[in-house]
Amino acid sequence: MRSARAFAALTLLAAVAAVVLFVLHLGLGTVWIPPDRVVLALLDRPTDPTDLTIVRELRLPRAILGLLVGSMLGLSGALLQVVMRNRLAEPGLTGVSTGGIFAAVLFLAGTWGLPSPGQLLPFVVLVGALAGGALVLFASSFRGRIDPLRLILTAVIVNAVLGSLTSIVMLNSQQALGGILSWLIGSLNGRVWDDVWLALPWAAAGVPAALLAARAANLLQLDDESGRALGLPLQPARVALFGLAALLAAGAVSVSGAIAFVGLMAPNAARVIAGADARRVFPLAALIGCVLLLAADLVAQSLSIKPPIPSSSARVGLPVGAVLAVFGAPLLITLIRRSIR
Amino acid sequence: MNHVEPIRLAQVSAGYGQRVVLDGLDLGLRQGTITAIVGPNGSGKSTVIRAMARLLPTRSGVVLLDGQDIRSFGSRGIARLVSVLPQSPSSPPGLTVRELVELGRFPHTGLFGRLGAEGVLAVESALTLTGLTDFAERPLDELSGGERQRAWVALALAQGASTLLLDEPTTFLDVRHQFEVLDLVASLCTSRDMTVVMVLHDLVHAANYADRVVVVDDGRIVADGAPAEVLTVELMQSVFGVAARIFTDAESGRMFCLPIGTGGS
Repeated sequence: MRSARAFAALTLLAAVAAVVLFVLHLGLGTVWIPPDRVVLALLDRPTDPTDLTIVRELRLPRAILGLLVGSMLGLSGALLQVVMRNRLAEPGLTGVSTGGIFAAVLFLAGTWGLPSPGQLLPFVVLVGALAGGALVLFASSFRGRIDPLRLILTAVIVNAVLGSLTSIVMLNSQQALGGILSWLIGSLNGRVWDDVWLALPWAAAGVPAALLAARAANLLQLDDESGRALGLPLQPARVALFGLAALLAAGAVSVSGAIAFVGLMAPNAARVIAGADARRVFPLAALIGCVLLLAADLVAQSLSIKPPIPSSSARVGLPVGAVLAVFGAPLLITLIRRSIR
Repeated sequence: MNHVEPIRLAQVSAGYGQRVVLDGLDLGLRQGTITAIVGPNGSGKSTVIRAMARLLPTRSGVVLLDGQDIRSFGSRGIARLVSVLPQSPSSPPGLTVRELVELGRFPHTGLFGRLGAEGVLAVESALTLTGLTDFAERPLDELSGGERQRAWVALALAQGASTLLLDEPTTFLDVRHQFEVLDLVASLCTSRDMTVVMVLHDLVHAANYADRVVVVDDGRIVADGAPAEVLTVELMQSVFGVAARIFTDAESGRMFCLPIGTGGS
């Protein structure tokens, strides 16, 4: 299972799965477009001119976001599991999701008479998310030292407080209630190219940085004394890796909302397949994150619901976060049962 | 012949919080020798090693690395000259022996972490010297205690430093594995001209493997010299508070230190 060849084969398999899901994702919708026509449209040689519009303008942004958000959450989780020395760590433990959502409800409850608050919302979520991450980091550092256990406990407490504050605002505001639900669960419904541009810089900077951080991460996985003796400045490395995980998660939350489970499942699956070396776990976690998110979003798109919100009567796809939670949980439990005896 | 001492502690004081553990300690290492540091629990033995690698900052005094103030080095610069094997090292579950040993190259590799020809060679020879070539792809947590300890020694070797500091390398090992690790260290000292410092609890090991025994008590050096000079009945009584017999076995030529009790006082 852990030999170099098995690892290469499974990585290739995950990459192929990601490509296949990506093409299927572009084909699926109100009008089904078969894979061959999707590929031709992507290559700018559509058999039918409408394919070009549907595939490239309407569906491509959402599929690309699936790739970006999946890899960002997968890597964020992988980084945090190292920094927190805990396999249950996931991107939510940065304070980023609750911070982003709290900022969003505050903004929606206030609205301040803006004509279209929806367009500004991703930016508001981003600012709140980064503030949430900074709060956890600041509150958990003691005499300039970051301790894994203290970091986890602080994050849990900050999340609980921000969650409660969010509930209080929501109970007092009708506007906030309707607009925030899909952010709470996490969704890619109705995402457009603008959303891609919002997430892309974070992914373009964060994903390569995280992959390069794998070496330092390997030393952080040893005991503190061994890591330092090998020449790693422990505290700066912990802060840097936590910051990177928070940035990746913030970039993801700002376009998709708080999608749970991907950031927990992807790195754990990667560890079962690749062992403990972060140089293997990190890229694989990113890849598995893409696969999970695209697969879940395919299911989410095919199961539409009519939300009981007075203002809208349209049928919408399920939020991808809900699909992941429902189908992901049993998968994750199976995985953990097998790997931790 | 290199006349610069690999490491020298000059008037070094160090401690944790309010507690002073080392109190004005002077100690210089000779290139290519094995020094054993012995002493009762809490005497400051491990702290000596930690100060030597700047794992603990000194309160006063200077640590010299190859004749230069250790504070003028970067963390990776120190790691290129000094390897440390802590008392109870730990690795994440599933990490293989080779993956662990490759971490030893961290102080030598750049941003992208490519091992390079030199790095690959260092890893292979560390695995060969420790006899772990056949175990290289096995996870550490599936190995016996002795094999695991050898893997950590291999990590320190791959680091390519000429000074090796070992904090109680034989703890938790059965008798046979204790000898294996000590024989390995002794052979490295000769074959690679390495300078070795070991914190040891077992005085018999100190007597038979070290060129020099340094006895630390209450943060100071109370005896320093060849094993036969240092390990005496009087010292056993005054430092460890035990009555002991010290003799050399005629057949093996090995020196023994046999504690017989707390002196019946």
